[in-house]
Amino acid sequence: MEPTLFKLRVRYVKRGRLRYLGHLEVAHTIERVVRRAGLPYAVTQGFSPHMRVAFSSALPVGTCSESEWYDLVLTEYVPAHQALQRLVAATPADLAPVEAAYVDIRAKALTAYLTRAVYRIDLSLAAGLAIPASAIEGALERIRERGSIAYLRGKKTKQLDVARTLKSFRVASAPCGALQLVLDTRQDNDGSMRPEILLGALDAELAAQYLPDVAPRPLETGISSFACFASCSIVRVEQTPEADEA
Amino acid sequence: MRHVYEDRFAEIEPLLNRVEKPSRYIDHEWGTLAKPDAAYRVCLIYPDVYEVGLPNQGIAILYNNLNKAEGISCERGYIPWVDMADEMRAAGVPLLSLEGAAPVAAFDVVGFHIPHELAATNYLEALDLADIPLMAQERANDDPLVVAGGPSVYNPEPLHAFFDAFLVGEGEDLIVEFCERHRELKVAGLTRTELLRELAKIPGVYVPSLYELVHDEASTRWGHTVPQAGEDVPEVIYKRVAADFGATDPVPQSVVPYAQLVHDRLSVEVLRGCARGCRFCQAGITYRPVRERSADQVVSAVVHGLEKTGYDEVSLTSLSTTDHSCVKEILSRLNRRLADTGISVSIPSQRLDSFGVEMALEVAGEKKGGLTFAPEAGSQRMRDIINKNVTEEDLDRAVRAAFQAGWRRCKLYFMMGLPGERDEDIVAIAHLADHVVEVAREVVSPEQRGGIGVSISVAVFIPKAWTPFQWCAQLDDAEVKRRQQLLLASVKSRAVRVHYHDAETSLIEAVLSRGGRDLAPVILGAWQRGQRFDAWTEQFELSRWLEAAAACDIDLRQAVQEPFPLDAHLPWEHVSPGVSRGFLEREYRRALEGKTTHDCTRDTCTGCGVCPTLDARNVLVGERL
Repeated sequence: MEPTLFKLRVRYVKRGRLRYLGHLEVAHTIERVVRRAGLPYAVTQGFSPHMRVAFSSALPVGTCSESEWYDLVLTEYVPAHQALQRLVAATPADLAPVEAAYVDIRAKALTAYLTRAVYRIDLSLAAGLAIPASAIEGALERIRERGSIAYLRGKKTKQLDVARTLKSFRVASAPCGALQLVLDTRQDNDGSMRPEILLGALDAELAAQYLPDVAPRPLETGISSFACFASCSIVRVEQTPEADEA
Repeated sequence: MRHVYEDRFAEIEPLLNRVEKPSRYIDHEWGTLAKPDAAYRVCLIYPDVYEVGLPNQGIAILYNNLNKAEGISCERGYIPWVDMADEMRAAGVPLLSLEGAAPVAAFDVVGFHIPHELAATNYLEALDLADIPLMAQERANDDPLVVAGGPSVYNPEPLHAFFDAFLVGEGEDLIVEFCERHRELKVAGLTRTELLRELAKIPGVYVPSLYELVHDEASTRWGHTVPQAGEDVPEVIYKRVAADFGATDPVPQSVVPYAQLVHDRLSVEVLRGCARGCRFCQAGITYRPVRERSADQVVSAVVHGLEKTGYDEVSLTSLSTTDHSCVKEILSRLNRRLADTGISVSIPSQRLDSFGVEMALEVAGEKKGGLTFAPEAGSQRMRDIINKNVTEEDLDRAVRAAFQAGWRRCKLYFMMGLPGERDEDIVAIAHLADHVVEVAREVVSPEQRGGIGVSISVAVFIPKAWTPFQWCAQLDDAEVKRRQQLLLASVKSRAVRVHYHDAETSLIEAVLSRGGRDLAPVILGAWQRGQRFDAWTEQFELSRWLEAAAACDIDLRQAVQEPFPLDAHLPWEHVSPGVSRGFLEREYRRALEGKTTHDCTRDTCTGCGVCPTLDARNVLVGERL
C-alpha cells in the first residue's frame, strides 16, 4: 500500500550576503536545513535515494527575494506552525522561512504553478545625471516595443523575449535621485524575465540619450556595472500563479 | 598593527560580481563559532581555495578547540582564487578573514595548515595579500605571529624563513597552550624575539630563527640545523600527541558550507595512525601510535554529527578505516540506524583482501560505482621491498569478490620509480591489470562483460622525510617518461585504462620534501615569478621554479636525484615524529633485502621507537583481523 504523504509548501527569503548563493547551493542548503530540523522527510525510491523536495524557479545570483518557495514531502503530519518553527531554528537567518502550509500531495510543481513574478528594483542615478521617471518609462516602452533583447550567456548569444515576459511596469521617483522600478513579469517553460538583462538594456538606452560619449557594451548575464546607475538592488517581491489559477 | 580589526566586507562585495564562485567569500555559514567580542584573535588559513580547505579536519579540530578556550576567538581564512586575488590587489583590499571579514594582519596569530609540499608558494601569496612581511625576520613587534603546522610539517626547513614558529604534531592541546601563553607574554610587553624565545619552551614548538645551519662532514649538501649558540632550545623538537585520543571530541566539524565542496560530508575520525609500515609512506610513521575510538563512540558521534550539520553523507576517516578492530560492527550498526534516510556512509579506501570487499559491500548499498585498491606495486618482489604486505592471492581474492558482488569497474593505484625497481616490475603492473580483467571476465556473466573496466593510476614515487626511503633519490623525469611508455606498451587488455602523474609537479614536491633551508629563496623566487596554486595543474609552470632555482645556483633535478649516505645528518632530523633513526635504517636495509616487517597492531612490537619516545602507546578497542 502507498503510504500517506504530506506536501508542505514553504515560503522563504533570500537576502543579505546569501543573495550571492547560486540556485544549487540554496537547494543543497535547504536539504541540510530539513535534516537539521529533524522533519520526517520522504525519500525517493531507487538507485540513488534522495530527499523529496522541489523548488520554485531559479533566482539569479546576486538578486534578493521575499518570495522563494519549496515543496517538501513528509511521511508524517507535523502541524504546519510547528514544522515552520523547526525549519526557522535550523536555517541561516538570510534564508529564513516565513510561512508554511500543506497543499494537496498532487499539487502542481512550483515551477509550473508560479508563472508570475514581481520584481522591485531600486536604482540610484550616476552622479550628475537627472533622468525623470517619465523618461525611464519611455525608454522601457521602446525596449518592449522592439520585442527582444540579445545578450550573452557565456559565449552563447541568447534572446530575452521582453514582449512576452514583461507584462507591465511602473517607475516612481524617490528622494535624492533614486528611482524605483516595479516589473510584473512572466516565467515559464518558454522563458522568463531576467531583470538584470532588462536593466542592462535600459542602461544602454538611457546612455545613448544622456551619455552619448559612453560606448555601448554587449549585455551579459550576472550583474555588471552600469553607465547611468550608481547602484541597483533587485528584489523578487512576489511569485504567484496566473490570476485564473489562484 | 598594520591594519585594525574591522569588518571590511563592503570593500569586497563589489568584487563578487566579477569572480567565479562568490560563495567562497561570503561566510555566514551554519555553525561558525568565532566570538566577535574576544580580545585575542587567531586566524587559521588553509593554503588553497575555500572548497578544498573547508573540509579539512585538522583545521576543524583547532577551530573548535580555540573557540572553546576562554577569551580566544578563532576565525578561518582561505586563499582567494587567482581572479579574486587580482581583483583584491587592484582594489587595494587586503586578505580578510571569513567570519569577521577583518584584515588578517589585524589578528594576534595567523596559523597556516601545511597539507603537502605543493602549497609552498600559497603561503607567500596569502601573506602578501594580507600585507604581512613575507620574511619572519622583517616582521615588527605588532605584526601577527605567523605559525604553521599540519601533516607536512616534518621537514619544515624549506619554509623556515616565512614562519615565526612551527607547531609540530597533533595540535588539539598544543594550539591552545601556545595561544594562551602568547597572550600572557603579549600583555607582559615582550619584544618579538623575547616572546618567541619563551614560546620555544613549549614542547612541540619549533622557532626556526633560534636555530642555525651548519655544514660539516656528516651533513648533506643542505647542511643541518642546530640551536644557535646561547639559545636554550631543544636540539630535537618532538611532535605532540593528544593526551587521550578517545577523549577528544569525535565531531569537531561544525561549519556547514553553502558551496559544493570536494568532500561535502560529515567526517568522523574513527582511528588515528597506521602501523602497516609501508616504507614509502610518511603518514604511516608520523601519525603513530595507532588509536581507535570505540564502536559506541563512533556510532553516537555519527548520529549526533548528522543531526548537528544536516549532511547526507558521513565518511569514517582515518589512514586505514577497514583496519579498525570493530569496523564490521560499526558499519552494520550505522546501516541499521540510517536505513531509509537517504544518508550514506563511506570509507576512504579499501583494504586489499576479501574482508576489504566485504566492508565495501556494507557501505555500497545498491550503488556500486568503482572500487579502489592500492597494491602500489605490480610484482611481489617490489611489494616486499615497500612492505606492502599483500600477496598475489589476497589481490586475486579481493578483485574476484568485488566483481562477484556486482562491481564492474575497479581502480588500482601504483607507484613508479620505487627503490630497486626494474623494468620487469613495471611490466608486472601491466600484467596485474590484465589479470584483474581476466578475473572479472571469469566471474561476470557474458552479457555484462562489456561493462568491465579497470583503470590504473601510476604516481611517481617521492621519497619523504622520516620514512625508510628518506635516503633515496627520485628517479629522473626522462627515465620516468620511459617507464611510463614501457607500461603503456605492456598493457594488453583494452579494458584497462592507464593514468599517470605529471613528472614536473613531482619534481617540485620531491625537492621540497627532502631539501633544506637554501630552498626558501627558491620558493620566494618562484612566487615572485608568478607561481601560486602549484597543486592546480593549470596554474603550474615548472619554468618559474627552474629560473628561481637557477638564480640561487641550485639545480633542482640534480638535487632530487641525489641519494643521501645512510650515515648522513639529514636536514630535518631536529623535527621528529618520534621514530628512531635505527628503526628507519633497519627498515631501509630490510627493504633492500626484500624482507617484510609485520604490523605491530596485529603482532609484537617492531621497535619503531615512537611509543617510548613520545610516552604514548597503541590503543585498540578490540582484536584486529
